[in-house]
Amino acid sequence: MMGLRAWWSRLEEVRERAGKVLSMNKRNLHYIYTRNQRKHFPLADDKLLAKEVLGKAGVSMPRTHRIYSYFYELRTLESDLSAYEDFVIKPAQGSGGNGIIVIVGRQGDDWVGISGKIYTAFDLRKHISDIIFGIYSFDLGDRAIIESRIVQHAEMSELSPLGLADVRVIMCDERPVMSMTRVPTKQSDGKANLHQGALGIAIDIASGVTTDARFLGQPVEKHPDTGIALLGRTLPYWSEVIELAERAAQAVPLKYLGVDISISPDGPLLLEINVRPGLEIQNVNGRGMLPVLEEITANGEVRDEE
Amino acid sequence: MSNQRSVRTRRGAYVALLALMVLAPMAVAGYKLYALDYPLAGLIPAPSYTVEVNMQVDGHGEDIRIQTYLPKTDARQSVDNEESSTGVFVSSIHSDSLNREVSWNAENVAGQQSLRYAYSVRAHHVRYEIPEGIPIPESYSPALAPFLADEPGIHRDDPQIARALDSIVPAENRTVLDVLTRIHRHLQDNIANRNFSGYTDSLTALKLGEASCNGKSRLFVAMARKLNIPARLIGGFVMEQGSKRTSHQWVEVYVNGHWVPFDTINDHFAEIPANYLTLYYGDQALFKHTANVNFQYMFKTSKQLVPQRDAQDALSQSALNITNLYAHFERVGISQNLLKILLMLPLGALVTVVFRNVVGLETFGTFLPALIAAAARETGLLWGIVGFLGIVLVSAVIRRGLDWMQLLHSPKMAIVLTTVVIVMMATTVGGVQLGLFELAHVTLFPIAILAITAERVALMEAEQGAMKVARITLMTLVVIAACYAVMDSIFMQSLVLAFPELLLVVVALNLWLGKWIGIRVMEFMRFRRLILESAK
Repeated sequence: MMGLRAWWSRLEEVRERAGKVLSMNKRNLHYIYTRNQRKHFPLADDKLLAKEVLGKAGVSMPRTHRIYSYFYELRTLESDLSAYEDFVIKPAQGSGGNGIIVIVGRQGDDWVGISGKIYTAFDLRKHISDIIFGIYSFDLGDRAIIESRIVQHAEMSELSPLGLADVRVIMCDERPVMSMTRVPTKQSDGKANLHQGALGIAIDIASGVTTDARFLGQPVEKHPDTGIALLGRTLPYWSEVIELAERAAQAVPLKYLGVDISISPDGPLLLEINVRPGLEIQNVNGRGMLPVLEEITANGEVRDEE
Repeated sequence: MSNQRSVRTRRGAYVALLALMVLAPMAVAGYKLYALDYPLAGLIPAPSYTVEVNMQVDGHGEDIRIQTYLPKTDARQSVDNEESSTGVFVSSIHSDSLNREVSWNAENVAGQQSLRYAYSVRAHHVRYEIPEGIPIPESYSPALAPFLADEPGIHRDDPQIARALDSIVPAENRTVLDVLTRIHRHLQDNIANRNFSGYTDSLTALKLGEASCNGKSRLFVAMARKLNIPARLIGGFVMEQGSKRTSHQWVEVYVNGHWVPFDTINDHFAEIPANYLTLYYGDQALFKHTANVNFQYMFKTSKQLVPQRDAQDALSQSALNITNLYAHFERVGISQNLLKILLMLPLGALVTVVFRNVVGLETFGTFLPALIAAAARETGLLWGIVGFLGIVLVSAVIRRGLDWMQLLHSPKMAIVLTTVVIVMMATTVGGVQLGLFELAHVTLFPIAILAITAERVALMEAEQGAMKVARITLMTLVVIAACYAVMDSIFMQSLVLAFPELLLVVVALNLWLGKWIGIRVMEFMRFRRLILESAK
């Protein structure tokens, strides 16, 4: 029999635990609205603008080979692209990974996509036209970016053989709050999106060691497709990853951010920044992030008064 | 430091605005209630009954006459919207000070003929306090003589009545309250209720110790008259949703200048419920008709809530009154109905906000559920939802098809909208053909709402997939239903019409919700492991 006192202490415990979880309302009101001004949102939404600003601040990113803004520029497409062995085509203002084509090599006159699909010059010209038309950005007019393809660090490939894993670091007032890596699975169809079935692996910020993993909301210890152990690994270049995230956060006037990073054999590269980073990272880490956030902002206030 | 000051200024402005939005409308409403005497009770919608009497006869070539009583508006009940369809019958109404008797006459009636008479009724519950200690008067004005007399069926002068009374009421110090209480209790407790449909006179009821309403009422009247208290029979009908043939009788006793009602079947002492409809006074038959015509009748009652129009009319008499304000809108052809929709929209939006920010449901847009609920006023909730689902489905399917053809966004949306318009019109035509007139009103869904819905659905389906659209559609339906319940409530409508300043309170609630940082119900589910699982 559970006594009234036990119920009460249980209730207190639940209240205390709930108090550690960052909720949507609190995230919006206390972190996004107060730290990210709406006029600065294009920095995150427009990848070319982000590249310009972050590149100037010395943040490493995939190299931009070319930008196509007008249809007439496509006349030389075939010879332009022949200069590169592999590359990625993406819309500057796309969302949710739509409109991205990853080319890994050539086959005669054609190109080979990462899934093995063959693209003719006509296919690529059509795709880039669509991007410029605004098919992927719900707006009239966009620009297509051709950039270098990121090759993963071997240790990351071992962890994530089905596609590019990204490391998400939540940054508040230029300091790291919580991090995870998102690993594509068969279930997620090669996408690094947790809601679509990607694997989420929590990483200890201080050490870069994987501490926890979740697949479709359930805790796991092994990769659901390859069976390799997920926990207790140290990610390569971890201190550089955090450094890169900090440099990116310092470079933009957005002070509550999700910074997405990929780890190449030569070091981390920034993929993109997100002004409304999701809350699921708390479930992946098995703890709420409010205590860390409050510590950071409390320190910030002390600094303000000095 | 300047940052801190701006934070403090902003918080001060917030608190001041919040206080203003609560206090200002309260002050205006208070002024209206206390200084201008707004009748608050008049704002609560009252039940109104629609009673339909359907009658049928079979004629064999003879002349047929049917007589019955029609209800009258009096201090307790108000009767309006009377309508009749009498077919071959010609009506004539005869009124006296108490009763309105209608007779329907037809000559050489052949075959089955039917009559229908309908009216709507609003009535009050009435309860009387009979003061203690009033002795039974020695004499009354001559006008009351008929209500003290012996008459067929009411055996005032029969010795058995006197003998029965001897055992019920004391011989000395009789007061009106005491004897009426004793008679009422005796009839209620010692004479059993029986569901006879036939006629029972007072002596039969007394002898059998059981009776239906008419027997008990006659016995009550006989006993009261014997004790020199004027009393009369009332014939009427208990209004309850549904169809029935049973009418009802109760009594009224003359006390201190008032006719006070008693019902010893349903134990109403000196009171009468709001659903009792008075049809006639005196010991009458509800229906009289030519013999052998197989006369059938049925009462059909439906109940609905209606605004108390007299109370609203009374408002127009006071200064600062709202009806004058609304007259401005009527002058440019904006009906009070449309105005009501407009005034209810903020409430619908508030409901949506609660569902989004407190419960954590996602909906298509912040205002869409409220707008759909407003549009559903014309169609009813069910067909409103059907219409909404239709729009969602058509938009999603068309968007799919057009996407496959790879069109630009804006022209694609224009085609989606056009298709939705065509489908809505086809739905209306189909609805009329099939006799589903509520469905036919789907066309009244304002076009702007169609456009927003279609575009949002198409966008979301493209960005987040059909499953997401299905989930959000479901959640949107829940919120639409909640909005509808609030916006369609007559009480809410009357309240906001009379006190439009309450919209500022809606603003205040939104101001408060705008700062609410609690965990949404859905988030509680999402993070339940973090919140509920013990660290043990």
